[in-house]
Amino acid sequence: MRLVAVSLLIGASALLAESGQKKEFTPMQKNWWAFQPVKKQTVPQSAGRTTIDKFLLARMTGKGITPNPQADRTTLLRRASLVLTGLPPTPEETQAFLSDTSANAFEKVIDRLLASPQYGERWARHWLDLARYADSEGFKADETRPNVWRYRDYVIKSFNEDKPYDRFVKEQIAGDELYPNNLDAKIAVGFNRHFPDESNAANIRQRRQELMFDIVDTTGAVFLGMTFGCAKCHDHKFDPILQKDYYRLQAFYANTRIEDEALLMSREEQVNWKAQYGVWEAKTANIREEMQDILAKPRQTFFEERLSRFPDEIKETITMDAAKRTPEQWHMFMKARTQVEFTDDEVAKKLRGAPQARYKELENELAKFDNLKPADRPMAQTLAEMHTAAPKTHVLTNGNFDAPTQEVNPGFLTILDPDDADVSKGRRSALANWVASASNPLSTRVIVNRVWHYHFGRGLAATPSDFGLMGDRPANLPLLDQLTADFAENGWSLKRLHKQIMLSDAWRMSSAHNEANAKLDPENKLQWKFARRRLEGEAVRDSMLQVAGRLNGKMYGEPVFPPLPAGVVTRGGWKSNEETSNADRRSVYVFVRRNTRYPMFDAFDMPDTHESCARRNVTVNPAQSLELMNSRLVNEWSRSLAQRVRNDAGQTTDGMLDRAFRLAFQRTPRDAERADAEAFLAKQTQLTGSEESAWQDLCQTLLNSNEFLYIN
Amino acid sequence: MNRKLAHHWNVRSRREFFSNAGSGLGAIALSSMLAEGADDRIRNPYAARPGHFKPKAKSVIWLFMEGGPSHIDLFDPKPKLNEMAGKPMPASFGKLVTAMGTGNNTLMASPRKWRQHGNSGMWVSDWYPEIAKHADDLTVIRSCWANGLNHVGSVCQMNTGDILAGRPSLGAWVTYGLGSANKNLPTFVVLTDDKEVLGGPKNWSSGFLPATFQGTQFRQGDTPILNLKPPTGVDDARQKSRLAFLKRINEHWGADKTEDTDLDARVRNFELAYEMQSAGAEAVDLSKETDATRAMYGMDVEETRQFGQNCLQARRLVERGVRFIELYCGSGSGWDAHSNIEGNHSKWCRVSDKPIAGLLADLKKRGLLQDTLVVWGGEFGRTPFNEKGNGRDHNPWGFTMWMAGGGAKGGHYVGTTDEIGLRAVEKPCHVHDIHASILYALGLDHLQLTYQHNGRAERPTIVGGNIFKEIFA
Repeated sequence: MRLVAVSLLIGASALLAESGQKKEFTPMQKNWWAFQPVKKQTVPQSAGRTTIDKFLLARMTGKGITPNPQADRTTLLRRASLVLTGLPPTPEETQAFLSDTSANAFEKVIDRLLASPQYGERWARHWLDLARYADSEGFKADETRPNVWRYRDYVIKSFNEDKPYDRFVKEQIAGDELYPNNLDAKIAVGFNRHFPDESNAANIRQRRQELMFDIVDTTGAVFLGMTFGCAKCHDHKFDPILQKDYYRLQAFYANTRIEDEALLMSREEQVNWKAQYGVWEAKTANIREEMQDILAKPRQTFFEERLSRFPDEIKETITMDAAKRTPEQWHMFMKARTQVEFTDDEVAKKLRGAPQARYKELENELAKFDNLKPADRPMAQTLAEMHTAAPKTHVLTNGNFDAPTQEVNPGFLTILDPDDADVSKGRRSALANWVASASNPLSTRVIVNRVWHYHFGRGLAATPSDFGLMGDRPANLPLLDQLTADFAENGWSLKRLHKQIMLSDAWRMSSAHNEANAKLDPENKLQWKFARRRLEGEAVRDSMLQVAGRLNGKMYGEPVFPPLPAGVVTRGGWKSNEETSNADRRSVYVFVRRNTRYPMFDAFDMPDTHESCARRNVTVNPAQSLELMNSRLVNEWSRSLAQRVRNDAGQTTDGMLDRAFRLAFQRTPRDAERADAEAFLAKQTQLTGSEESAWQDLCQTLLNSNEFLYIN
Repeated sequence: MNRKLAHHWNVRSRREFFSNAGSGLGAIALSSMLAEGADDRIRNPYAARPGHFKPKAKSVIWLFMEGGPSHIDLFDPKPKLNEMAGKPMPASFGKLVTAMGTGNNTLMASPRKWRQHGNSGMWVSDWYPEIAKHADDLTVIRSCWANGLNHVGSVCQMNTGDILAGRPSLGAWVTYGLGSANKNLPTFVVLTDDKEVLGGPKNWSSGFLPATFQGTQFRQGDTPILNLKPPTGVDDARQKSRLAFLKRINEHWGADKTEDTDLDARVRNFELAYEMQSAGAEAVDLSKETDATRAMYGMDVEETRQFGQNCLQARRLVERGVRFIELYCGSGSGWDAHSNIEGNHSKWCRVSDKPIAGLLADLKKRGLLQDTLVVWGGEFGRTPFNEKGNGRDHNPWGFTMWMAGGGAKGGHYVGTTDEIGLRAVEKPCHVHDIHASILYALGLDHLQLTYQHNGRAERPTIVGGNIFKEIFA
């Protein structure tokens, strides 16, 4: 059916193009579900317990499908902990829940987990996938972005605070314009600073357009669930996205520039800092002046050498009188300047002989005044609006930066609003307000569907960043609309939505197989069971660290560098934190080097950070097994777990086995498992000559097992 | 029209690529929520799959001269350039944006001595005397061109088709298309010198394809794959016993979940990883290679030892059914001769000449060359005008690559550059064309090899690519 519709559509658009007519949207495009207003639905009459269940059940009964019964309480608790925090429950938490006989025991668990700081750390990781977040530039040098982690912290904090989603969106699109005095909002705009960038690109105009492409593609996918990327070169072949719309969206961002030194200080703090810095400056004026004299000539040579690499138009832009720069030239200049301006240290490396020696002396001299110097100022890497008028935006023929045609103004999708946007209060503010409006049919459904996706491993619409004609149609559109309307009406609260979903029978269902149901709905589209799925690499690592008793729960701050397996080299460097306190932090804090992802995460399908990822691949590959079997870290963690088990319950084998299983699986071993385990311990003790090694092997096996790696 | 539109509407399911289960690697099911398309179920990523055409080659060895070797000093002699040396480029060639802003510099002669070789009379300069002896096996494509000006983008494009990172590399597409031809080794392997390739693992990434298809970098030494060796103190008996217990534990938990093939795949994946431990170590163990073989690859001389070893390694991997081997020479932009090209290229030609000639000879001797497509080239060539008086800048507008074995004609030229070697003129062969042609040799149609991603049927050649059938016999 879909194929037929699609080919009809192609026929129609080809016809229009050939006859040279103005492009009109087809009835199918106009009537497409994702563009229709979100409306509250009549809740179906079905036996379902919650509203969600009523909607889901209504689809099943007609087809003769019966939903699974509830999962057992241990499974439920483990599922809730892993989904909300990415960590398994502790034996104590398990005990508490199992002995809580009150009717709302599970609700209390949900509340506890949602209130835990680990919730934000877990769900921030989902958002960072969407934001193509990385701590480095990518391309050749893959340099570190030293302050980009503040955005990661911002996301964690926002989830933990249950920041209303509309506010969250507004801050990330136009926080600087809408909330000028709010430091978090300034960091948030960094959402669109996460493009991979080639810092030494010579063709600045091309490079700038590529960054714009990244911004438009990402903004369209993440907030609107639309594949804008297809409309770069031509009108979208399926969806009602005109090529013009692509550049209308770009125009909202036309006057943005990279701001890598956004000060995160209140006015008062700035005044104090400057005062203190002034003291240091005064005391060191002579030293610094002489240093600058030494650097002046090599700096000029360096400058000229770098300048010569640029095409003439960029050379001119760099060297011309600032007052005469056009808005376009300002953007070229801002993008080029980082290549022709150098820090003192960079220039000093060019010194040789006597000047070098003298410079070293002066450096030492200067260092004596370090005690007077205030600490470095906290800064964010983000976007900011240029101080001049916005440059013009054009539709580009075939997406070629050098082939501008029709000029466009900022505007939304023509199918929803053909007029130019009112940008009198700021370009991105207009976009932010439109995206974060309750009446936007796309953005509202998109986020609710994403949350559903992260709960069940699959959205109601299975392609969370593609609500277009090539995406999957929602398995239950009325339910999606009901939840969406309710979400926007009730303060855009994600925590409320989580609770709504988790209190449904659908969420609490067992994952058990049912042959009859599977025959009718093999892909579980109607959700008659909870779909078992593997944990992400980050959650695997965090769970192992937690069970081993090693997880360092410290939140926030600069990224950490856990040890790499032997043989990995990374350009840009990786200074391993060998001391465990830092190496054992949660995975969300692990440095993300764009060109070399952390090998364990890489093996377990971490997205590649070069573009937004709405849905991770889930593969089974030998690198995963090798990691689990042989990596030094997993071995160390297993040893830690064995020690923990011995410390906690070292009196008897039975007691130790109980403890190990409780830590890893929240249950005690069944008889057959116990028998196997005992036999294994005996064998390993005999093979290794050490009971300790035998227990380490047992613990590692638990950590490698499917039960540990899966949300069931 | 069809060609141009193929990326929009080839919405066919990938199921056909995954339909055949095999043994060994092939039996490892990939149950996955592949990025798009809700109808994905059980996948066998490593199962050998038939391509779209009858293949001419079973394996590819890509000899990647990283940094950009100078075509006009190696395979594409330009007498006219020598005549015009010292003068600026004639205005008729237009204005160029180059990486280092050298477009106005004067033309620089090639001081090389050129000779025709073999029955075919292929031109090869005195920098490659050993490779020249295989002239009759080479199909020299003199009209290559690419889009990037800088190394990282160009290396990326030569690997993935795009100068911007994020797309699957050609080896990943091949793995996706054909599955594996061996039971316990990766199917796409990368070997480098001791420096890192510019852009690093991005260049052999699976991009938006599942990670299963990405290249595996073989590292130097006896542990070529990350985590291949059991930890210290874990001998074979101990590890076997651990895996047996893991299997039991998984069976207990999986007893009422037998419908979930993903769980089963994971169990078997541990067995595969275990086998890979010995197979991987065996593949890189050169102790059984004779001194004569080593000498043939130049392993007896320090300068050619490392690359020679990698070339020998490549032959061993081909023998073991690895489909796609990428072998960097000068990794980290070694060939990047902005100045003193005489010194730079003399060195890298010495480093690569003997080992490559040895590889060609050895493959031939063992009857492997006919099934192995050997590809030679950099990410671009070098300019006819000088840089810093004695070097050459990057030239993506026209450069040379060659192919040998695997159905390539041999003793044959494709295309030309202009009279100074600046731009491809006749039969320009873009990177996409090279990719399409390599895929063709392996039996894959680049237009049909698609993967649904972000609403598009993505393919290796993005929106381009023509198969150059004349490369092949």
